[in-house]
Amino acid sequence: MAKQTLFEKYGGFSAVSKIVLDFYDVLLDSDEIGPFFDDVDMPRLIDHQTKFIASLLGGPASYTDEQLKRLHERLNLKDSHFDEVLATLGDTLKRHGFSAGDLALVNAALEQRRSVIVCRDVH
Amino acid sequence: MSVAMSIEAINEQLLRAIGVGVAVLGAEDRRFVFRNETFHEWFDEETPQSDLGGLFPDLDIADLMTRLQESGRLTIEIKRKARRREKIYAADFTLSEGNGGGMIILVCQNISRIRELESMIDSYSQMVERNTREIKREKEQVEKLLLNMMPRSVYEEFKTFGVVIPKLYDPVSVLMLDFVGFTQMAASADPAVTVSELNDIYSAFDRIGEQYGCERIKTMGDAYITVAGLPDPTPDHARAVANAAIRFIRYLERRNEGHPNQWRCRIGITSGPVVGSVVGIQKYVYDIFGPAVNLASRLQDLSESMEITTNGPIYDVLRDSFRFEYRGKQQVRGFDEQDIFQLMDSREPIR
Repeated sequence: MAKQTLFEKYGGFSAVSKIVLDFYDVLLDSDEIGPFFDDVDMPRLIDHQTKFIASLLGGPASYTDEQLKRLHERLNLKDSHFDEVLATLGDTLKRHGFSAGDLALVNAALEQRRSVIVCRDVH
Repeated sequence: MSVAMSIEAINEQLLRAIGVGVAVLGAEDRRFVFRNETFHEWFDEETPQSDLGGLFPDLDIADLMTRLQESGRLTIEIKRKARRREKIYAADFTLSEGNGGGMIILVCQNISRIRELESMIDSYSQMVERNTREIKREKEQVEKLLLNMMPRSVYEEFKTFGVVIPKLYDPVSVLMLDFVGFTQMAASADPAVTVSELNDIYSAFDRIGEQYGCERIKTMGDAYITVAGLPDPTPDHARAVANAAIRFIRYLERRNEGHPNQWRCRIGITSGPVVGSVVGIQKYVYDIFGPAVNLASRLQDLSESMEITTNGPIYDVLRDSFRFEYRGKQQVRGFDEQDIFQLMDSREPIR
């Protein structure tokens, strides 16, 4: 039998939907990250967040590194931005009852993608 | 009088406190007469405006008034960007003809969260639907693969019950074929070329067999086994394998004319009982067992290159419609002494 994903473990879409909305709120209010979303309309942003959280937790979405690179390359993101999202997401998941072990898993999965998200040319 | 006043005061208190934006405007000049705190907070905080047009510059006031006059009531959606966040409000206008001239009552509700949830459900259902399509496609591929390994009716049984009960089919006709000198060919020629040619030939055999009602059971290296009368019984099983056998040889003859690699086969056919079943737990293989299988294999061994060897059961059924040559009684390992026949192609050989 297939191993249970975090997506299933924490209650499937009905629970994850609350995480997505919470994360959406926090990100938009963040002065570090928020400005990146200034010109993104709501449905698109929600779509991104839903897919992002779903793919992160092993739900019904997944991004290849190539896709992630293409999605982020124009944003010129720095390590500090990446760290901020990591911390924000960590807080959000903790509020929604994620265990320390599962948080570490999510963190590690995100860290693996750092190099495709953060822009390496400009420092 | 004082009681009425206090109710009015209570009403006003209520209007100020609830999480609904409420405003009252004059119907003529659309100037605000009253705005509750929520309304003020949502729309009016940064740059207070005294009339509706000033507050919502994108609004087509004339159109709004026409529609409002027609039905007395109108709901529209208003979008506002507050600190990069898109807020969506349902704004409900009601026209009220009072004694001091017409009034418009405007009630606004924040429906951002509802819209956000709708967007999320859209996003999620798209993902799920795409996944469902992918799973369906994968399932079809697996099904196609399994149908290559077993007859459809056996597959249906396997799918429904998870197991296949071994079943006796009696009688059926079995055709066994192998290639002369395959081992040397595989060793001397480029193996990739040999396998690719073998694949072409087997695919052709499959098509020919299908045309005559044969079900290919399996291939094992250079051995090809097909059977007629299974899983659905057919009275013509002997004719089916005889026709297929003759076409297999014709196909190879024609192919050899245009190819550097010469493929020459030996075929044995016979009729009798077999048991068909899926064997294996992890790696399913549909296979047949029984005397007819063994005998067909022995008859194939007795064949010369590009010959079809058979015995009594086939000869008895097909003697009137096919040409046979009698090869005398011969000893067959594991069986009684047999009358052996060679099935001839009644057509003139292609030259």
